[in-house]
Amino acid sequence: MAPTLRPDVLVIGAGPAGSMTAKWAAKRGASVLLLEKRQEIGSPVRCGEGMSKEWLREVGITPGRWINVEVEGARIYSPSEKVFEINEKHAGNEVGYVVERDEFDKQLAIDAANAGVEIRLKTAAIGLLREGGRIVGAKVKQFGETTEIRAPVTVAADGFESQVGRWAGIPTDLALRDMDTCLQYRMTNVDSDVRYCDFFLGKVAPGGYVWVFPKGEGLANVGIGVQVSQVKNLADAKTYLDRWIEHHPGYAKGKKIDMVGGGVSISPPLKQTVADGIMLVGDAARMIDPLTGGGIANGCIAGKICGEVAAEAAALGDPSKAFLQKYERGWRARLEEKLYRNWLAKEKLVTLSDETFDKIVDALAGIRLEKLNVHNILKAVQAKYPEVTQEFAAFL
Amino acid sequence: MPNKKSLHIESSGQLCIYCGACVGICPLNCIYLDETRITFDESVCTRCEICVKACPVGAIEIG
Repeated sequence: MAPTLRPDVLVIGAGPAGSMTAKWAAKRGASVLLLEKRQEIGSPVRCGEGMSKEWLREVGITPGRWINVEVEGARIYSPSEKVFEINEKHAGNEVGYVVERDEFDKQLAIDAANAGVEIRLKTAAIGLLREGGRIVGAKVKQFGETTEIRAPVTVAADGFESQVGRWAGIPTDLALRDMDTCLQYRMTNVDSDVRYCDFFLGKVAPGGYVWVFPKGEGLANVGIGVQVSQVKNLADAKTYLDRWIEHHPGYAKGKKIDMVGGGVSISPPLKQTVADGIMLVGDAARMIDPLTGGGIANGCIAGKICGEVAAEAAALGDPSKAFLQKYERGWRARLEEKLYRNWLAKEKLVTLSDETFDKIVDALAGIRLEKLNVHNILKAVQAKYPEVTQEFAAFL
Repeated sequence: MPNKKSLHIESSGQLCIYCGACVGICPLNCIYLDETRITFDESVCTRCEICVKACPVGAIEIG
């Protein structure tokens, strides 16, 4: 039997949100143990690998060799493939990098290790320890051996397929309309443009979109998200993606060298992300942006707050739900309004017809927008297609 | 004979890509993902078929 470990803070899951939480807890003086169930942090990659960049400084991440391509902008394609370009000038914060996710995750774990965090690989949480209704650590399996790890503060950063939160009694269930089922190929010999991340909207991907994120030298991540409530047949995500590729000669000629899938939550923010002795962070806390499907930035931003509060709770000897609310208030102040706004926007977008998408993108394609926001977009659409804006009365 | 429909997760790797989409959506938290294995608890599963829809490659069937 391995010795019982007693860190101040136990973090389950070494993705970006977990490593961030661990790093910031250690930087604030806590002893931290970070668990990863896989044998390799960052692998296998289950991600489109596109991310914005303006938030990196806020959480103390410095650009490194994990950056694959720095893009100039994004192109939004309507169903008839009219194009609207979003560039750094009017959407600086949404433009960014295509990354090597496995390198990125490893760098964040290295940053955590450098801050003093202990890391255990091949160690899966299989249950929680309870004492008087409070979570006081986890039962883990490491190389086939079961151990109990006691800690005043436990953090669940176990990703989209999170079970830890549910074990703690924190509801994280998703409605079918609040999840996308995703599939992506890494393709070589394709005609992607390294200056842009491309997004294709409409019936090509019901309730979601097709993306092409360039990785340089004819390599690109070509993927799809389909809203689960709009899935009609077995393997729709694959069927729609294969069909899209088939209809785009610049991609149909390519070769697939990798295939990844996964679930992405596109839900409103959870009502509760803490309980006595435990906090949820990142995809496990359904913090993915419901409009873009991006989870890295929000996971890292919340992770910093989570780590700081975890260290403070451990130092004060008060991991009660009441104290941990400080994290709940912190991440909500920073992220909740945008999450909720983007969820509402997503709820609207998934109802639009291909004709409406075409009109919106057409109206935007011909003009120069000073600043990209809902008001300016709708104003532009109103000028050319006044009937379309009636659908958006609630947003004006 | 039980009249419950039977759920089959093709988890040998012929179809399954071990992505965890079914794990995250299961409302009863009864699907488990190891690195190279998906299992589910037959005694908890209600055959709600949500995982069938969530699977991007059609590796889950119910019949």
